[in-house]
Amino acid sequence: MPQPEGDLLELKDVTAFYGPVQVLEGVSINVPDGGAVGILGANGAGKTTTLRAISGTVRAGGTIRYEGRSIRGFRPERVASLGIAHVPEGRGTLGNLTVRENLMVGAYMRKDRRQVQTDIDFLLELFPNLKARIRSNASALSGGEQQMLAVSRAFMAAPKLLVLDEPSLGLAPSTARTVYDAIARLRKESGISMLVVEQNANLAFSVVDSVTVLETGRSVLTGTTAELRGNDEIRKAYLGG
Amino acid sequence: MKNIKGYDAIVANRWVRLGVFLVALVVLAVLPLVADPFTNQTISHVAVFAVAILGLNIVMGFTGQVSLGHSFFVGVGAYAAIIPIRDWWGGPLAEGAIVIGFVLSALIPGVLGLLIALVTVRLRGLALAMVTIALPTIGLPLAQKFSDFTGGNEGVSIRRLDYVGADGEIHKGNPFAAGPGLANDQWQYYIVVAIAIAFFALAYFLVRGKYGRAFAIVKSNEAIASSMGVSPYRYKVLAFTIAAVYGGVAGFLLVAWGQFTSSETLAFHNSIDLVIASIVGGAGSIVGAILGGIFYVTVSQIMNGLQLSIYTTLVQGVVIVIILFLLPGGLASLPRTIRRLVRRGRAGHSVDAGPTAGSTTENTK
Amino acid sequence: MNPFGTFVQLVVDGLAQGSIYGALALAIVLVNQATGLVNFAQGSMAVLGSYIGMTIGNLFIPGVGAILGIIIGILVAVIASLAIGGIVERFVMRRFERAEEDTKVVATIGLLTLITGLVGLIWGFNPTPYPFFFGGSESLRIGDVSISVWSIVTFTTIIALMIVLQILFRGTKLGLGMRAVADNAPSAALSGIRVGGMRMAGWGLAAALGTVAAILLASKSQLTPNNFDGILVYALAAVVIGGLDSPLGAVIAALGITILESLAAAYIPWIGHDLKVVVPFVLVFAVLIIRPQGLFGRRTVVRV
Repeated sequence: MPQPEGDLLELKDVTAFYGPVQVLEGVSINVPDGGAVGILGANGAGKTTTLRAISGTVRAGGTIRYEGRSIRGFRPERVASLGIAHVPEGRGTLGNLTVRENLMVGAYMRKDRRQVQTDIDFLLELFPNLKARIRSNASALSGGEQQMLAVSRAFMAAPKLLVLDEPSLGLAPSTARTVYDAIARLRKESGISMLVVEQNANLAFSVVDSVTVLETGRSVLTGTTAELRGNDEIRKAYLGG
Repeated sequence: MKNIKGYDAIVANRWVRLGVFLVALVVLAVLPLVADPFTNQTISHVAVFAVAILGLNIVMGFTGQVSLGHSFFVGVGAYAAIIPIRDWWGGPLAEGAIVIGFVLSALIPGVLGLLIALVTVRLRGLALAMVTIALPTIGLPLAQKFSDFTGGNEGVSIRRLDYVGADGEIHKGNPFAAGPGLANDQWQYYIVVAIAIAFFALAYFLVRGKYGRAFAIVKSNEAIASSMGVSPYRYKVLAFTIAAVYGGVAGFLLVAWGQFTSSETLAFHNSIDLVIASIVGGAGSIVGAILGGIFYVTVSQIMNGLQLSIYTTLVQGVVIVIILFLLPGGLASLPRTIRRLVRRGRAGHSVDAGPTAGSTTENTK
Repeated sequence: MNPFGTFVQLVVDGLAQGSIYGALALAIVLVNQATGLVNFAQGSMAVLGSYIGMTIGNLFIPGVGAILGIIIGILVAVIASLAIGGIVERFVMRRFERAEEDTKVVATIGLLTLITGLVGLIWGFNPTPYPFFFGGSESLRIGDVSISVWSIVTFTTIIALMIVLQILFRGTKLGLGMRAVADNAPSAALSGIRVGGMRMAGWGLAAALGTVAAILLASKSQLTPNNFDGILVYALAAVVIGGLDSPLGAVIAALGITILESLAAAYIPWIGHDLKVVVPFVLVFAVLIIRPQGLFGRRTVVRV
């Protein structure tokens, strides 16, 4: 269905429960087509749950619209087939499969073989580490390499929206830097839309245009990178300085 | 406990339970005097397997270890009972041989169970299952090999043993039908049912007390158990050993009931039948063992009676699958489930997730 | 026949018998990888398939002749098993996805009883012959040695089948999907792989593999509903020895167990035929003590 002026992804007053416990109490986020939005907040603020609500891994209430259509309640396989690629917390590496096979899994839903190969070549050029280990089992990769593999795998789905959950988790600062440089380049070369959850605000700022801050399950602040970066008070209050 | 109303209050009342128990006891005591031999034999038969299944319930339901080798302990117990009786009853020991048989039927399987438990206590899943499967799988050929001792496939019968009568002559008799005044089936009934009741009572008090609580903790979460000072290893070994003892005693009861055993008793498929009966009755409960024994004995009896014996295995399979789908706690959990459905209907809101097979309490998982 | 000939015969027959155990062991490993449980009913599912093959085969033989009829019977049996495996996963085992370990075990045991009962009801408990291309006792002479035709055919067929499966797993998209689901199902779902469908496929393939093995066995020793009950124990032993997560290990272990058992039965008198079943279990215990994850298994790694 053609979508008039509107965002690619729109969340409005989204709620979510784990059993009887309410984890999201009202999250609102907009990702414009071609844009990149970051979700910041402390541990337990509900960042991962928000992503899970989008990809259908957790049941949610409220409005979740993608390309103008509601996708709330869709199963993960279906959400994926619509063009949303989710790199979960912990990366979801398929350890017993090779690097190449992980990428092929990413492309599972695609039928255009030649383009798939082109994309693989593009990614291997972007991530030479992966190219070197193309035949190794994914479990043999380092944390940083697995993160790059996870992002690449998501990208292989030729998605419209790339959803990343804490890419820097468990990585040494320099490795995290490298990963984020690669993500930034990926965005620049492909123009893909992104939604990035991050605890490290500075890393997030290097990639996204705007940011929403979550606090105890609620979105409390939204602004462009420029606005928030420059504002010391806000930084201290919400972003740990 | 204080605010429960109506039906719940009646059932929970200790005196009511005692009363029901005493009434049942009286009925059981009087029944064989008036009932026909077939009924008596059936009830005795049920009692035999109720004891066996009770042992299985203790190890499966209370500590969560699947034992696919239980028939091994029943078979060993049967041999441990029948061989002394066969060899010594006709001599000066007379009834003493039966007592020795009883003691050995508890002791030998118990010791074996203890040894096996010590070796396997750290195993889990398939590995543990394999060890329990090994027991009957090796036991049966062993019993067949030493057929001089065990009678192999043909087994040992003590229905007509030589003994020296009061007149100094040699007669043939059945050790389990010794005295006057009662018919064979009645004697056997009293011996089997009395012992069964004693062992059920023993289990009841075991489970009531600190052992029961320890078992429950070990089953639900071993890590928490050890942090509370309850050693999971110790209690698993204990449960397995108790189960072996109960299996062995059931073997004695089997001999008392039928005066016969053979290597067939050790067969692996018997273990499977016992496990199925245990779950159908309710693996985590004492009443469940009785229900399981009833299921074990009556299904084949009914099917044979209806000339439908070709359906027996299928019926067993269908029943267990239905139970697992609809009533995982077994038949013993039926009252509890009905109560929950009634309460749910009244209250109109959804309650916790269904129970898992063998659970003694309603857990939210 | 000379001692060497006897030895060769034992090994060949052991390989054939072992390949049947290995097929069932592989099926068990497959199902375990697809759905994380040990299926005690794997053998009875295989037997069910073989009975279907017999019935269909006998149905067609009068019309199209023995060879074609047998082939049709086998094909239908395999297709039926694919379907039955998938249906059982979807409608029975999925219900127990979140159940405890022992509940899952009991569920498969219940399934075992149910299927055996069904087979016994429909086809009876008496041994029934399976129509096949050749008899179980035909043999080839190579020099001084007499080798059973059945053994050769069985071994090569099953090994060929395993190679085909391996190609399926490593080289096709379906295989990739199945391996992804086995590795990390929620993650695979995020890539759009239909987890439920892959699981059904795993069960279907396992059932079909078992059916072929059951048909081969039946061609030699007739059909009974309990054909695979004893074999299940051997297959489980092979899985434990080889490693629950190693398809290759399970097959190699099955072959090894069977050959060692035959040799022990033939050459160690006090074990003989009666106690030869002790051999696999001695091996099982040895492995559990020395290397509990199996000879080819991986120590479980906790993945983040």
